[in-house]
Amino acid sequence: MTTTTDRPSLDDPRVQLDRDLGVFEPIPPYPTRTEREAEFYTLRDGEMLINMGPQHPSTHGVLRVVLKLDGEKVVDLDPVLGYLHRGVEKLCENADYHQAICYLDPLEYVSSLFCEWPGVMAFEKLMDVQVPRRAEYIRVLSGELNRIASHSLFLGWMALDLGGLTPILWSFIERDEIVDMLSALTGQRMLFNYFRIGGVNGDLNHEFLSRLGDWMSHATEQIESGQALLNENEIFVRRMRGLGTMDSATALRMVMTGPNLRATGVPFDVRRAHPYSVYPELDFDIPTRSEGDCLARYLLRMDEVKQSLRIIDQCLHEMPDGPVMAKLPRLLRPRPGRAYAGVEGPRGQYAAYVVSDGTDQPFRMRIHDPSFIHLQSVGVMVPDHLIADAMAVMASLDPIMGGVDK
Amino acid sequence: MTVIARGWERLTLPGKLVFTLVPVLLALTIGLVAVIVLFGQPILDVLAGNLEIVRFVVAVTIVLLMTIPTAFLIIYMEMKIIAQMNLRIGPDRVGPAGSLLSVVHGLKVLMKEDFTPTGADPLVFTWAPVVVYLASVMTLLVIPFAPGLYGQQFNLGLLYFFALAGLSVVGLLMAGWASYNKYSLLGGLRAAAQVVSYEIPLTLSVVGLILLAGTMNLYTIVENQAGWFTDWYVFQQPLGVLIFFIAATAEANRTPFDLTEADSEIVAGFATEYSGMRFGFFFFAEYVNVFIISALTVTLFFGGWNAPFPWPEAWRLSLDVDPGSLGLGLLFMIGLVPLVLTIVFSLPFYLASSRIKAWQALIAGFVLANLFLGTVIFAWGYIGLDWVAGVLWFMGKTYVFVFTFVWMRGTLPRVRIDQLMDFAWKWLLPASLLNLFVTAAAIIVVKS
Repeated sequence: MTTTTDRPSLDDPRVQLDRDLGVFEPIPPYPTRTEREAEFYTLRDGEMLINMGPQHPSTHGVLRVVLKLDGEKVVDLDPVLGYLHRGVEKLCENADYHQAICYLDPLEYVSSLFCEWPGVMAFEKLMDVQVPRRAEYIRVLSGELNRIASHSLFLGWMALDLGGLTPILWSFIERDEIVDMLSALTGQRMLFNYFRIGGVNGDLNHEFLSRLGDWMSHATEQIESGQALLNENEIFVRRMRGLGTMDSATALRMVMTGPNLRATGVPFDVRRAHPYSVYPELDFDIPTRSEGDCLARYLLRMDEVKQSLRIIDQCLHEMPDGPVMAKLPRLLRPRPGRAYAGVEGPRGQYAAYVVSDGTDQPFRMRIHDPSFIHLQSVGVMVPDHLIADAMAVMASLDPIMGGVDK
Repeated sequence: MTVIARGWERLTLPGKLVFTLVPVLLALTIGLVAVIVLFGQPILDVLAGNLEIVRFVVAVTIVLLMTIPTAFLIIYMEMKIIAQMNLRIGPDRVGPAGSLLSVVHGLKVLMKEDFTPTGADPLVFTWAPVVVYLASVMTLLVIPFAPGLYGQQFNLGLLYFFALAGLSVVGLLMAGWASYNKYSLLGGLRAAAQVVSYEIPLTLSVVGLILLAGTMNLYTIVENQAGWFTDWYVFQQPLGVLIFFIAATAEANRTPFDLTEADSEIVAGFATEYSGMRFGFFFFAEYVNVFIISALTVTLFFGGWNAPFPWPEAWRLSLDVDPGSLGLGLLFMIGLVPLVLTIVFSLPFYLASSRIKAWQALIAGFVLANLFLGTVIFAWGYIGLDWVAGVLWFMGKTYVFVFTFVWMRGTLPRVRIDQLMDFAWKWLLPASLLNLFVTAAAIIVVKS
């Protein structure tokens, strides 16, 4: 850790400036620590640094990005993370296995089930618990519903970042319907805390099923009518096509997963590549696209919604009877060991890695969140585009800051 | 003396202000009355001698005052219509159907703290909203609302409009620069680039129309379009109206060209650092701009105050009744007709059911009588007075275009700055030139 520049920092209390520094002067937030930072905060002629966030209307939470601008063009950027850091991994290590699940929920506040799922799966692997089949089906059913809710919110955000006011409220219709039925099932609208080690918290109830049936009868038309406002919009398509293009080799090098990877043409889906739960028994396609631009990422998510509807349909038809919880001792003390589990979420691969030392608390808990991984590719995609494109690219990656900062 | 001093000490600041102001105002009023009584005739003579100046001052005052209800109405329209498009309810708490919400917004803006950020240039920062507001409001002066109802009528009306509309960019640039904020700076520069680029197709798109009309006087242009709706210039200049409308949208910084205040990119653009009534002026100017652009589109291409069909002369009512000739009868009419009508209209309610009390029936009768009288007077004015019908048609057409702007705001996303520039220079400019050449060629062919 060496200071590579002599410029004073405003954050350093020991530094007394002999004059006030203006907003147009480039001041790094702290004495630069790396070569990269020193290079970034040295401005050439005509360049300007601008702070986007943490309180900016379209950074999807508290992301702060320092943009280096040349006029309207983004020359370089430096994401600054950590404004939402809560130390979830450490919190999990100080709770027992049941309590750890509820810390996983708020990581991904748009699709909470997908953050619980890998944690619960890893705990089950650690303890050799056999989950009842009905519970697995319920997990898949609720998970796919949550995936649709997340993708429909993505549609709205995407449009809102491009300046469209209406789609976000239209897409909230179906998200609201899904969230309502999930709250009937799990008891909460946002942070469901539904999955348990060895099953789920409660069986399907009448209200959930009646709401689901109502919704399924018109879901396809409703989703398509919501998308038509954007898909057939010339301004939207022209702005998204060819923007933030990513080839498959770079995407793999950047460890991208999920829709963002599949939009570059790599048919990698954890549900098929490393099957878990009852996904091997279900019939669904892995949509891919070859363009790798923002439009492809958007359209691919909309294709995924259709596949999710297929999966929900199959789940409802093939739902077996039986218990929804395995028989477990009240106090869980797994053998010393380690376990890893990954699931395919709406944003990519969520994974959890747990090390047990034989006590009733995890010794180490590592959470892998795709939002964090995808955010690094912004540095590849955004430079040489305009400011407006930076927002569009970030929105098309669909990051959730709760997961990024953990 | 001490009693007065003690009383003075007890007063709060508003009290002290009132106690100081009231005598001053009283003295001024007395002075004014005295001046009118003593020098009334000479003043009237001077005013009559400078009727043009008097007319200008009155028109400017009316135009300035007119912007306030116009902006309130358009803000309310926007809130309510976009809410319906978003499947929301929209404002519904303040006033009937929330119609007073924009007034409350105005009061809120008025009462907010009005601060100048550290490092801002206070003089430029303060004057920027004034420039923007005045530049947009003063364009209203040349728009003819109805036959005989206009602020000013002169030969270069259209040129005056474009000159003043171009002036607003100075204000936006001032705001962007003086705010001492990078987002504001970006917004101001975007505004400059955008408005200057779109000024050219905007101006060129109406040159064809000027050739057709042979004048730049807006009043004459509207008079030329009298008759059936096929006489409107929109049917002779279809490409022109399209270019004009698109360029005007960009000129007014409205969606999909609202890059200067793109909230998802540069927070609020040039208005980021503004608060209180200085922000209010920007806000007002934006909505007044919407009205002005719509009004100009109607004036130039959609026949202005003209109805889509000619009003037959036979249906025209003569209003040459001299009120003085009615004498005392007029007084009786004014006094008795509302009373009699109220009773007449309330009788059926009173007789219909014994559960309706007399006062309830009277209230219903009063409302109905007012509606009836209003309808009658309005119909009389519409048939008998040119300007009532003119204002009605003009406002009706204008608000159709205002609705279109709101509709676009609710539907379309924003374009990118390079697409915006490409569109102006590669598409709109050649198209407007083509429109001009075709129009000129057609005029030569028809005339020879």
